[in-house]
Amino acid sequence: MTYEDKLAEFKARIDSKDKIETNDWMPDEYRDAVLKFIEMHANSEIMGALPEREWIPRAPSLRRKMSLTAKVQDEVGHAQLLYRVAEDLGKSRESMFEDLINGRTKFHNVFHYPTEHWGDVAIIGWLIDGAALVTQRALLDCSYAPYTRVMRRICSEEQLHLRHGEDITLELANGTERQRWMFQDGLDRWWEPIMHFFGPPSNPAKDVLLRWGIKSKNNEELRGEFLDHYVPRILDLGFQIPDTGLHFDESTGHWVPGEIDWTIFWKIVKGEGPSTQARLSMRRKVWDHHRWVREALSEPLWSAA
Amino acid sequence: MQVWEVFQQKGHTDAYAHVGSVLAPDPLMAMSYAKECFFRRKEGMGLWVVRRADVHQSTDHGLLEQVTDKSYRYPEAYRGVVAKRELARAKFAPASAPRRAAAVAGDDF
Repeated sequence: MTYEDKLAEFKARIDSKDKIETNDWMPDEYRDAVLKFIEMHANSEIMGALPEREWIPRAPSLRRKMSLTAKVQDEVGHAQLLYRVAEDLGKSRESMFEDLINGRTKFHNVFHYPTEHWGDVAIIGWLIDGAALVTQRALLDCSYAPYTRVMRRICSEEQLHLRHGEDITLELANGTERQRWMFQDGLDRWWEPIMHFFGPPSNPAKDVLLRWGIKSKNNEELRGEFLDHYVPRILDLGFQIPDTGLHFDESTGHWVPGEIDWTIFWKIVKGEGPSTQARLSMRRKVWDHHRWVREALSEPLWSAA
Repeated sequence: MQVWEVFQQKGHTDAYAHVGSVLAPDPLMAMSYAKECFFRRKEGMGLWVVRRADVHQSTDHGLLEQVTDKSYRYPEAYRGVVAKRELARAKFAPASAPRRAAAVAGDDF
């Protein structure tokens, strides 16, 4: 069988919605694309734990502290599952971490921003996790089966995180003027990053991820789904969305955002986001500081007879 | 470091099922990592970790195929019994046959 035949057979499997397993033959373009995508997802889970982690010591109550700690632990757990799936595609965890902390691989734009106060924790928990769930749910259809299996677990836990975030949001929404201000101030700063989160408009002809069935929905569709779900809920709470062009299109029945300015997004892609270097240096510090733990745990200490 | 496949048993009446894998130097650490990754919310009562190298996967795609018609192994093959039973009763049941209790819903076999 020639390479072209194998490739055609593989493409036919993808087009007929067949699922690919780790040991199946796959073209390098597929392996590279799916590995890069899962690695970026894993990076985002572990980097995404950092902005929230900053608020564990400053949580307003013991219960909030415990629940935020548990959530951060879930996110780190998701990274563990995802790195494991990525490793099976041929890249070691060590090199994925080295690439991350040296800025050679990416993580999601929303984790490149500072968190100013507890209102930001509400925004992250409700809206950013909400945005993540919109994209992650679409990944349950991914052509790479080991990824969809971990996505099932991740999505069910993210569902809980959404509730957690909504609970914090509603406490602020039903609270004092100052508490309501905290949410509105967070919304004013985070709305643009959330619109960027879904990525610039996709070009289906060029999108490797769509071609190989790694993603099944384009960026515009996902952004639209988010708006339709969250805009009415935010407005119901009496908050203002900082987008003067945002409107409901009566003819299509969907919410449409105003013009999106992509300037900061592209800076983040180049590693020049407002908190990119601070977060990476935090991750680097932990990586170096805990080296002895990794080394101590890398040799067998116990084995079954 | 080695890859360990993780199996979880939800309850006494469930079989162990594969849930994922972890990277660990030995079975004890593998169980620790598996607990943190897959059992943070009491997801199960039983845990196995198995060295990936000890798992033998079938690579013969023909093995799981059925080469001849095996429909008689499935309940669908016997859907016709209801009609056949009625036919037999209509033909042969004596007029004085004992009356049956009303059929229970779903009891169509």
